[in-house]
Amino acid sequence: MAEYRAVGRPTVRVEGVGKVTGRTTYTADVHLPGMLHVKLLCGPHAHARIRRLDTTRAAALDGVEAVVTAADLPALDPKKVASNRVYSLLAAGEVVFAGQPVAAVVARDPTAAEEALGLIEVEYEELPAVLDPLEALKEDSPLARSPLSDVDRSELRGHATVDVEEKEAEGRATNIASQLRFTRGDVEQGLAEADLVVERTYRTPMVHQGYIEPHATVADYDATSGEMTIYTATQGQFFVRDEIARMFRLPETKVRVVGLELGGGFGGKMFLFQALCAALALLVKKPVKLVLSRSEDLTSATPAPQAVFDLKTGMKRDGTLTALQARAVYDSGAFPGAAMAIGCILLGGYYRCPNLEIEGFEVLTNKVSVGAYRAPAVPSATFAIDSQMDIMARELGLDPLEVRLRNAVQEGDPLPGEMPYPRIGLRECLERVRDSDLWRQRHRLEREAGPRRRGVGVAAGGWLGGLQPAAATVMLNGDGTVGVLVGANDITGTNTSFAQIAAEELCLPVSQVQVITGDTRIAPFAGISAGSKTLYTVGRAVKAAAEDARRQILDTAAQRLEVPVEELECADGVVRARSHPEKSITFGRLAHITTAFGAAYPPVVGRGAIAARKQAPGFSVQAAEVEVDTETGRVRVLRYVTAQDVGFAVNPLSVEGQMEGGTVQGIGMGLYEEMVYDDRGRLLNPSLLDYRLPTAADVPNIESLIVEVPSEDGPYGAKGVGEPPVVPTSAAIANAVHDAIGVRITEIPITPERILRALGKVKD
Amino acid sequence: MPKLPLRLRVNGEPYELEVEPHRTLLEVVRDDLHLTGAKEGCGTGDCGACSMIVDGRLVTSCLLLALEANGADVLTIEGLARDGKLHPLQQAFLDHGAVQCGFCIPGMILAAKCLLDLNPHPSEEEIRHAIVGNLCRCTGYVKIVQAIAAAAERPD
Repeated sequence: MAEYRAVGRPTVRVEGVGKVTGRTTYTADVHLPGMLHVKLLCGPHAHARIRRLDTTRAAALDGVEAVVTAADLPALDPKKVASNRVYSLLAAGEVVFAGQPVAAVVARDPTAAEEALGLIEVEYEELPAVLDPLEALKEDSPLARSPLSDVDRSELRGHATVDVEEKEAEGRATNIASQLRFTRGDVEQGLAEADLVVERTYRTPMVHQGYIEPHATVADYDATSGEMTIYTATQGQFFVRDEIARMFRLPETKVRVVGLELGGGFGGKMFLFQALCAALALLVKKPVKLVLSRSEDLTSATPAPQAVFDLKTGMKRDGTLTALQARAVYDSGAFPGAAMAIGCILLGGYYRCPNLEIEGFEVLTNKVSVGAYRAPAVPSATFAIDSQMDIMARELGLDPLEVRLRNAVQEGDPLPGEMPYPRIGLRECLERVRDSDLWRQRHRLEREAGPRRRGVGVAAGGWLGGLQPAAATVMLNGDGTVGVLVGANDITGTNTSFAQIAAEELCLPVSQVQVITGDTRIAPFAGISAGSKTLYTVGRAVKAAAEDARRQILDTAAQRLEVPVEELECADGVVRARSHPEKSITFGRLAHITTAFGAAYPPVVGRGAIAARKQAPGFSVQAAEVEVDTETGRVRVLRYVTAQDVGFAVNPLSVEGQMEGGTVQGIGMGLYEEMVYDDRGRLLNPSLLDYRLPTAADVPNIESLIVEVPSEDGPYGAKGVGEPPVVPTSAAIANAVHDAIGVRITEIPITPERILRALGKVKD
Repeated sequence: MPKLPLRLRVNGEPYELEVEPHRTLLEVVRDDLHLTGAKEGCGTGDCGACSMIVDGRLVTSCLLLALEANGADVLTIEGLARDGKLHPLQQAFLDHGAVQCGFCIPGMILAAKCLLDLNPHPSEEEIRHAIVGNLCRCTGYVKIVQAIAAAAERPD
């Protein structure tokens, strides 16, 4: 492997100092002169008609600037209003989930706004609601909402580049927003050839991204200049700009989006309440600020979908998979948005299978509409398929890891939809876990201690990776340091990796490089920071821009030193002639002769712009050792190994951070997290006390094993890192629980109650 | 609503304020003193992002009425670095890659400081228990625990 000086080395976050000193500005920290505060009145019913909405008393309250309902807002494209949650700024006539904003108060301070909420009078007529996705599929189910004519998937495509078009429901009105079907070979024949056929149903609940910073936006409309400025916590500032401009018919030159530091996103912070804030700012012509409370964020943002999977699979005695038949039902909530297609593709995408039939349904119900959450739709599908693989391996008396190795896809194998895989590292990840202490020592485990049982489980999963064009600029400053300008919102440490890339290409220490995420008015374009694609795409653009800057530096140096450019090299902030090292010029001097008054040479401005066309799928294989208390039903994760193919770890410190953090989110999904709704569709646990995120005391040290199978297009072979580590975790835990107590839990989270029920210790 | 007088010492600076009785310490420190390092993640004392050290004790400042802190000595994240030099915990958090989105970090570092003030050489288990009220969604806590352990090892 090539010797690198900057990339591949653990590097401290470039923006870290502001974060440890409290100086970093997050959106809720923004305060503009004359700024007003927004509070939302959210409907309490899962499905209702608004019979009367009277804001008179609220509007008369001292300190209240405006009380806004749908009737006060500009009319948007009706097709989009019906199918895209964001366009439905405030409920108009019909409320389709409990927690849907019905009115907005704009007031001088948050207290007055809060008080005014209580003075808004609303009369609802409750309508039949449907809350369960399987019920919603039935022919006689009530309709969750008025039928859709069109489905807008522009945001989803930013996460997952999927070459399958979902078929949208036609004809008779149903709750099905979209459906698809993949087939290969002959499933009946594949099942007939099998020595073992296993049929199981798996359920996964709605879960929330759990970012610690609730959604926040400040929108400032200057009526005299016609300029709209939006400060917001978003993973995709250009996406927000483009959508706001389109919605309110503003030229993009008049819309400036400043994507501030994000307090966590995980897919959930793209474009949600920014449009409403913009509409309110247009109305009151003053800056307005909306910061969701935690309960509003849990109730009314866009969590990950609930899902149900029916699987029927066949395997030969030697562990060869012969058939996979599956039906996946994703509950999209009240608007389309579940990434059902990618879930179905990866359900059949990890293991070679000559005969498959996968049917997917995206179903509407009267729950909050869903959105992206780290590997959208895939952790749930992986819980299903990787529990199923484990069941088959164990029933056949085979080593579950060897069964995965036997069937694991590799380069050239087709995905459902028949796109072939490029070179991937699934097998390498399986081998790394197979060779880990945790896995090798599993036979020597003390399996019993009083009522407690221990077990070890393994699971695999992956993510195909998103694609979007990107650009970057690299500039030589007057003192020889380097500035990098990008438009990507840094959520995972990508700016640090960009600094490493520029430093590598320009032979400088990382400390000499400054990376800035500019707002949409000044930065070159970047796609949304989602789909594990920021380093993969924007990183390539930075590398290209740095190479361009280096060419310019060498050209100028060649003229100045009167040495042919081929004889020059860069080294530690200096350009020198290879054969005559005394002939040299520092970057500082070069900067001077390209920027000073009357300088003879043009400034160095490197440009990088790329169109990414090839995905680089990344895989993760994980093994868990758990202890189950058979008296209390409590599961503790004692040891954990997480292996991931990242192509090339540009910053191993950030890569490990992603692997550790993703894995612990997966432990949350596996053991604790579930949005619980009552039979009228009201969220019962809208707080961080009741919606339980893993704490430091719940989880063990996570051992990260970085695997590097280079990608073709990524910088230095890098692949996307963010998504894969959350994917197989819940399956690994379920498999470890089975290993410990011999019973199979097919519904996550694996709560003490579910353990005790499975053990027959709790009955209805 | 009538305002009542409030005296506070924050990061060593004395403040004389008038505040409405319903306002929390977090609101007053963020909105009146413009020290926005402490964050509101939940407003119900469950996430720890608003942690401050009040008279030597770690508190979730979203649950403490500002007037209850009358006369108190308050330390926020802004008061930790001295003379342009990071506190050893801040430096350790950076060096160990314990900082990702950063939203929980001010509270997390103050929770760690409280631990080390009472127990200068904690075990891993003691560290994990000390930060159990500070939720982090990015890191999985691995590098945070490492950073606190490393800071404990450093001579101050």
